[in-house]
Amino acid sequence: METEKPARRRETEDRRREGIASPVEGFNARAKRAVADEQLHDSIELFTNKSVAGRNAVLNALPEAPELRERAYGIKQETMANLDRYLGQMADAVEARGGNVFFAETGEDVVGYIGDLARRRGAKVLAKSKSMATEEIELNRRLEEEYADLDLEIVETDLGEWIAQLAGDTPSHIVGPILHMNRRRITEVLSETAGRRLPPDVEALGSFARERLREKFLAADIGITGANFGVAETGTVATVTNEGNGRLVTSVPPVHVVVMGIEKLVPRFADLSVFVRLLARSGTGQKLTVYTNFVTGPRGPGEIDGAEEFHLILMDNGRSELLGTPFEEALYCIRCGACLNVCPVYRQTGGHAYGSTYSGPIGAVITPLLKGGREAKDLPHASSLCGACWEACPVGIPLHDLLLKLRNRQVDEGLAGKAQEIAFKGFEKGMSSPTLYNIGSKAARLAQKPAQKDGSIRPMPGPLGAWTNSRDLPPLAPKSFRELWKEGI
Amino acid sequence: MADRAEFLQKVRHRTQRGRYKPTHAPDVAWTRKDGPRESPPIEDPPARFIGELEALGGHGIRVAGPEEARDHVLALARERDARLLIRWDVPQLEGLGVDGPLEGAGVEVAVWRDLEDFREVTGRADIGLSTAAWAVAETGTLVLEGGPGMGRSVTLLPPTYVAVVPVEKVLRTVPEAVGKYARGRLPANVCFHTGPSRSGDIEMSLFVGMHGPGEVYVILVG
Repeated sequence: METEKPARRRETEDRRREGIASPVEGFNARAKRAVADEQLHDSIELFTNKSVAGRNAVLNALPEAPELRERAYGIKQETMANLDRYLGQMADAVEARGGNVFFAETGEDVVGYIGDLARRRGAKVLAKSKSMATEEIELNRRLEEEYADLDLEIVETDLGEWIAQLAGDTPSHIVGPILHMNRRRITEVLSETAGRRLPPDVEALGSFARERLREKFLAADIGITGANFGVAETGTVATVTNEGNGRLVTSVPPVHVVVMGIEKLVPRFADLSVFVRLLARSGTGQKLTVYTNFVTGPRGPGEIDGAEEFHLILMDNGRSELLGTPFEEALYCIRCGACLNVCPVYRQTGGHAYGSTYSGPIGAVITPLLKGGREAKDLPHASSLCGACWEACPVGIPLHDLLLKLRNRQVDEGLAGKAQEIAFKGFEKGMSSPTLYNIGSKAARLAQKPAQKDGSIRPMPGPLGAWTNSRDLPPLAPKSFRELWKEGI
Repeated sequence: MADRAEFLQKVRHRTQRGRYKPTHAPDVAWTRKDGPRESPPIEDPPARFIGELEALGGHGIRVAGPEEARDHVLALARERDARLLIRWDVPQLEGLGVDGPLEGAGVEVAVWRDLEDFREVTGRADIGLSTAAWAVAETGTLVLEGGPGMGRSVTLLPPTYVAVVPVEKVLRTVPEAVGKYARGRLPANVCFHTGPSRSGDIEMSLFVGMHGPGEVYVILVG
């Protein structure tokens, strides 16, 4: 007979599963499939090349950019060091303006709060603006399942997110959710929704979506958004969209719910001038996003539109576990997607290979940290550690360094493969003693002899095979630099 | 379900453990060795504003006075074959005196006050007309505040959106505009609106007028 697991344990397991593919391992298998998909490759190339070119042009034209980047880093550092105080300040400010604040430990808490709110309001239609935080907790699926009796219609209103939702797909990029779909596929999905054959041109497809989603904005009982930034001082929530859906779902429905990760805080309203300039430039190559919308509590007296009820959900869901640890800087991320666009791994595989809500370098860092190292153990290895992500990051997060630390942690936790363990341990030992280093490098030159062919290392048997199977490893020089130095070079 | 005190206590505890202080300041890759450290000052803010807005696919024009602004609104309504225009209920637009001539031209005018169903009226309108608290030259941005008489939907739902803005409201930079709200009480809504609504989600091809207005006209007065 099976024994009931205690409820708390089940919750934890559920949290660890949400938003990541099952099985979570297998980046290599998924990546192999992705790399073989030529159409996918073309789509990724188009998106990332355009994004990188746009970003470079607009950032190079802003002489203040380096200073802004340092200020952004400094502001986030200060925020994280005093996060409890700023969270309390923001909650007070929202309540002073007549809004409601809810502290959510887990995704389950968020689902419960919104589900109960929908029940109390007798809501039927929930219109959502694009939000990675709600993707992360699979809000839509869980609301539909756990509140099935309410028969809720939950509609994504960002064009890409809506198409992904209709196709039963998940976003593959923080900023370009359906960059993996070509126009032919999008036409299929929208034609099925329309119940008629739509012409495969952007005007026709966009117009159909505008018309269909307009009905939803007007009918929505509750609008749900994420938050790009939350301001502690004023209780303001900032969301940016180009389509206007963020401003619509906060202006038209009578209720507005914000699901905000606790790391999205900035202390002061003035800090936004640093972040909005960096976010738009890094994400989409714009000087400002079309709608940079600031909402502070419910609508004021005498106002006709804007939500009459305002709810701010401050969600932890594993984030606070990074505070005060060597991984704290991962919380500085403003989700611009620039690190994905420059990453040589992402550019080959796309987002779905990562098997998690967040992909690319930032996804490879935060997925194991938020979900547990075992669940996403392949991801810290989905990187060449070239550091392009660090260079692109508008907040200066040393992503490549965090990836290396994660690999190191895997060795400590016994999650790493045998070869990697030997390599890390050997490296540590060898580097800490000049004698061992000398012996080691001599031994390595001898040991590589049988594997050498045409000036590079052939695929090797055993635990190192995986490395040399897909790479040409240049052989070590006949004499080391240290030896040459001794001989007077 | 988490209790606020408990939640914040946990966060405080975690910020203090280990005393780990991040050490990696941003690397030097962004730091330029030569060249200016600051953007050059904007010489003619209204002209820059119009230039930036046009580059985004919007339309900007500077007129001498309210009469000329009124004529522009009227001409646009005729050109668009508009049947319904909805406007903010603010003294500046009252003073524009555009309601009479519009109705004379067969365009119904709805004013943002005592609306029974704002969704129905605004959703039906062909043109939305508002003012703006500020404009930003650097980016071609309108700064829109919500408040009594100043419906957010007026700037969002109609396919064509027109803003009439006194030229002295044109600021130079984004930090200047953010600074206007950095002290004191914020309105329940402030929006930095920069050009027509757009989407690039289908193969990075530009689709204009996604959910908000595809046509944005700004008339600078003075």
